[in-house]
Amino acid sequence: MPLLELNEVTIRFGGLIAVDSVDLVIEKGEILSLIGPNGAGKSTVFNLVTGIYPPTAGTITYKEQRLNGKKSYHINRLGIARTFQNIRLFPELPVLDNVKVGRHCRSKASVFGALLRTPAVKAEEKAIEQKALECLELMGLDHKKDEAAKNLPYGEQRRLEIARAMASDPELLLLDEPAAGMNSTEKKVLVEKITSIRDMGLTVFLVEHDMKFVMGISDRVAVLDYGRKIADGSPTEVQKNPDVIAAYLGKEVV
Amino acid sequence: MGLLDGLLPAYYESILITVGIYIILALGLNLITGVTGQLNLGHAAYMCIGAYTSAIMSMHYGMPFIVAILAGGLLAAAFGVVIGYPTLRLTGDYLAICTLGFGEILKSVLYNVPAVGGAMGLAGIPPKTTLTIVFIVMIIVIISMVRVESSRFGRALVAIREDEIAAECNGINATKYKLQMFSLGCFIAGIGGALWAHKIMVLQPRDFGFLKSIEILNMVVLGGLGSIPGTILGATVLTSIPEILRFSSEYRMLLYGALLVAMMIFRPHGLMGGVSFNSIAKRGMRWLKPGDKPDDKPGQKGMGG
Ligand SMILES: Nc1ncnc2c1ncn2[C@@H]1O[C@H](COP(=O)(O)OP(=O)(O)O)[C@@H](O)[C@H]1O
Ligand SMILES: [Mg+2]
Repeated sequence: MPLLELNEVTIRFGGLIAVDSVDLVIEKGEILSLIGPNGAGKSTVFNLVTGIYPPTAGTITYKEQRLNGKKSYHINRLGIARTFQNIRLFPELPVLDNVKVGRHCRSKASVFGALLRTPAVKAEEKAIEQKALECLELMGLDHKKDEAAKNLPYGEQRRLEIARAMASDPELLLLDEPAAGMNSTEKKVLVEKITSIRDMGLTVFLVEHDMKFVMGISDRVAVLDYGRKIADGSPTEVQKNPDVIAAYLGKEVV
Repeated sequence: MGLLDGLLPAYYESILITVGIYIILALGLNLITGVTGQLNLGHAAYMCIGAYTSAIMSMHYGMPFIVAILAGGLLAAAFGVVIGYPTLRLTGDYLAICTLGFGEILKSVLYNVPAVGGAMGLAGIPPKTTLTIVFIVMIIVIISMVRVESSRFGRALVAIREDEIAAECNGINATKYKLQMFSLGCFIAGIGGALWAHKIMVLQPRDFGFLKSIEILNMVVLGGLGSIPGTILGATVLTSIPEILRFSSEYRMLLYGALLVAMMIFRPHGLMGGVSFNSIAKRGMRWLKPGDKPDDKPGQKGMGG
């Protein structure tokens, strides 16, 4: 029983078929990478899984539940959290509060709770803060907790997005180009962080441009080209696949 | 009850009551436009609903003042839900136009309802609003807004303002939260309107038009969108200065215009943009603890030293 399954998923934007009848399976506990040239439809796959767009056709199943038509906030509650290719933090909020927001679906104080501030609400608020601090520590950002998110350097903003996603205790973590714009030292740290997240029992679905990064970290790699899946297998298999090499315009894949 | 009443000359007491009521109204709008980022150009409409409702409760049903105030707030909140449900899905200009439209429609309707005095207005409202009552309500509203700010609910609202898609992907049902927030903001406007009605004693639809909404919006913008202390400051400054300087209403609009232009140029985030009571308290603590001042490092003496 796969954790996430895409079955002939298609989405059309006007005349453009951004994702074309894609089948994809993610098993619990693996790191799966989705690669492909710019505009291949990778981020769109994430947007479909997280309910930002409903698929034009096909089904998306997570733990035996159909995700089609479910709202993003509901999908998050089911155990899927994500980051964005073009970082989407809450820039004016402090780093700590960004991560606290990530805990939203695992807490429940309402507007009346906010106004009355009962002992139960205070206790929950404390637990949210505790969890947020843990996630910041995990991503090595605890010393920055009081800074506004917008003031962090780029690489730390990317890590903050992961910390925020982790705050919801997800089972499936979607990372859209988490290494983009990072230098090689930062990338090394990131690989360690992602590996330790997997070792905590999470399943990681990764979109990445950096081949070296992908090949080192992935259990399995799937390749998209013009919205269609052209390969799916171990990193070494995919590297040798002639279709993949052609898609990357003869650029050496490694 | 009445601790604060009669301590000051009646004229100043009246100004303080007005300031207090506008602080309440502006805090309601700050929740909607400042904290959650939903431009509302019709805030006076909800003030108007609260004013008329409470006036009718007092005059025709002889209700105690507290009941009339709450009824005004609740009906304003109910209208907030009805208007908010379809419009809060809109963004930016569309939302602004719809909120503006509702304010104008409400005004036209009231002009044509003889039961509430039509264009003649509703007169004979008992003067029940005292400085003590306004002060108590204002304190309750301020405390409520400070509590919202540091709550799960308040964080969700700011998250929606900052990035709605990211908020949704982090488990926040933006539509639900915007609706709850909007009805709370309208509730506060309704309460402000109820207090206003029982101070001014005569209600006329034209007092609750677009210009009134802009006046309240100016207070929030001047103080700094999203900042509670800023909103209080903005409401205080813009309510008391024209009173004290005795500007006629035409000059008042001129002053507002000039102020807004100056703000856009010199302080686009308002007088106290980004300042919360929490941050003021933190800074205060830092100053109280000697040797721990961030501005106290050697080689950074300032003032030409
Ligand atoms: N909301 C949208 N409306 C129209 N076209 C879109 C939208 N989102 C993505 N696309 C198009 O779909 C294709 C795939 O985009 P994307 O998934 O972002 O590619 P990538 O593989 O680089 O992440 C691109 O041609 C893009 O322009
Ligand atoms: Mg992309």
